[in-house]
Amino acid sequence: MNRRMSDDLTLFGVRRMMEGVIPPTLCTASLDRMPNVSYLSLAEYVDPLHIALSFQFFNRSRENVLATKRAALTLDDPYTGAGVILQLEYLRTETEGPVFERLRAKLMGVASHVGMDQVFHLRGADIYRVLELRRVPGRRELPAAEPRVDLATNSRLLSERMANCGELADLLDTLLDGLGELLRIDNAMLWLFDSAQEVLTLLASRGYEVGGVGAEISTGDGIVGTAVREGVAIRVGHMMNMARYARAARDRADALGFEPVLKSEIPLPGLKEPRSQLAVPLRARGRVLGALLVESKHDQHFGYDDEDALMLLCGQFAVAMSLMQPPEPEPPAREPPKAAVPQHADAAGPTVQLRRYSRDNSVFLDDVYLIRGVAGAILWKLTAEFLRSGRREFSNRELRLAPELRLPDVQDNLEVRLLLLQRRLAEQNSAIQLEKAGRGRIRLNVTRPIVMQNESP
Amino acid sequence: MALTQDIIDLLGAGVAHQVGGCTWDGRPSLCRGLAAQLEPDGRLVVILSAESGFEVINAVRDTGRIALNLTLPENYKSISLLGRDAIVSHGGAAFRELVHDRYLKFRAQLDVHGIPPAYTEAWHVRPDDDLMAIRFTPFSARNQTPGPDAGSALALTTR
Repeated sequence: MNRRMSDDLTLFGVRRMMEGVIPPTLCTASLDRMPNVSYLSLAEYVDPLHIALSFQFFNRSRENVLATKRAALTLDDPYTGAGVILQLEYLRTETEGPVFERLRAKLMGVASHVGMDQVFHLRGADIYRVLELRRVPGRRELPAAEPRVDLATNSRLLSERMANCGELADLLDTLLDGLGELLRIDNAMLWLFDSAQEVLTLLASRGYEVGGVGAEISTGDGIVGTAVREGVAIRVGHMMNMARYARAARDRADALGFEPVLKSEIPLPGLKEPRSQLAVPLRARGRVLGALLVESKHDQHFGYDDEDALMLLCGQFAVAMSLMQPPEPEPPAREPPKAAVPQHADAAGPTVQLRRYSRDNSVFLDDVYLIRGVAGAILWKLTAEFLRSGRREFSNRELRLAPELRLPDVQDNLEVRLLLLQRRLAEQNSAIQLEKAGRGRIRLNVTRPIVMQNESP
Repeated sequence: MALTQDIIDLLGAGVAHQVGGCTWDGRPSLCRGLAAQLEPDGRLVVILSAESGFEVINAVRDTGRIALNLTLPENYKSISLLGRDAIVSHGGAAFRELVHDRYLKFRAQLDVHGIPPAYTEAWHVRPDDDLMAIRFTPFSARNQTPGPDAGSALALTTR
């Protein structure tokens, strides 16, 4: 069958009509041509010739579509009142993969919005070929709303700023500060994916009362966990009940055999009642390294264009992060051994206890949880060496080669974990601090006497 | 068959109207309706724009089959009324008052959802000579409230 698109219309160009403010309407017909009209929860742009519709129930529409393979769909522009009508040919139903996951995540947002999350369940993503696309004539259309910012120009500016960053910490701050300054995205969190532990760790945030550096969630939690698990951007434009969503996502993660959810030791930042959320994976070299989560108190704050812009910026960030290694040393400019140096020569005040649970390298300072995993192992090693020899400066290289740290085989991991550790210690204003000490080197600063206690497991 | 009082009440409650048809060669189509009411002879009349709904009008002329969906924004209550004896005619100024009444009630419904009147106007304000009327006898009603029962039959009373 010929595909006909009106001269000035493309499926790509009408993506914003699929945002769900005005529900898409579907018309199917039985074999004897009796029409059936129903509202859909979601429509999703797939590519310039295909669209996905949510399949939730075995109902009359479903029966008709399977019998005739044909449907008509109308979409309304949430800003101008314009409308389009599409003639569709049913191709297949997908029950997994990125399109399905995007629809599923959005559906959970919509479902909780209308109080039907116990009823709504995505059975599949029905994929349709678009045979025709035309404008609904005879409407008195309103002018389109002014864009929030010049997204293309400002994204380019932010990209240029990021390209000038030589260090990971600068790169991270440039991205998060730039989101607010240039893109008017004031609430953001950057999560790192630890594939060994199947957890996401918060590296940095902006716009919240608590920073939450080091907080963890399990893979599959919320839209950010789903974005990492599936490697796709997920955008929800309606008010959503995150707790309900997280519970649903949790069920899914449990069903897939993920580790039980970690009870977060660090308070999670986040808006109390987000109306819009967008999670964008950090992808580089075929891997998902984490995700950026942005939020707003306003409905439909993030559109497809935001999603496109953040996908590009996050891709740049991820590649830079994975390549950003300080030059390899510098032969070990080791400090001369400080034999007989008192362990706490410049530390004062009451002694603090650094305690580690070796099972997962979780580290506590006076019963306050600090960090775990690779970052916890690093802190333990540095402190132990400091107490043993008085040495404060360490090269990244020696850490990278240290067998006890068991670094994953991802090159970026050490730099990222060091930055995470440094920021977590700074946020806690703890008696142990970490700072850069030149290229490829770090310095440990200890302000209180320390005793170490290892717990097994 | 005749409409239940619930359905008659729904017609005047500020619903969104969607009208569907399908040609004999299997091409489905739909458009927004502007108003609907029960006629003294027990038939329903639905008003739509000739310009916006030309494809539906052609399909209904072709087969006489029609689905009229009524959905109340405040609670998502949604039903469809089906006919197979639908007849298309010019509506014109005779339906101006009805269209305006339904428009005001629908606008009030959407206003609660934060959709401004100017937006609703984009769909509804049509000149008299663009108003078309489709009359049909509902032979079946279906529940279309989102959920597993969507598409299932609703009771209609016998006159």
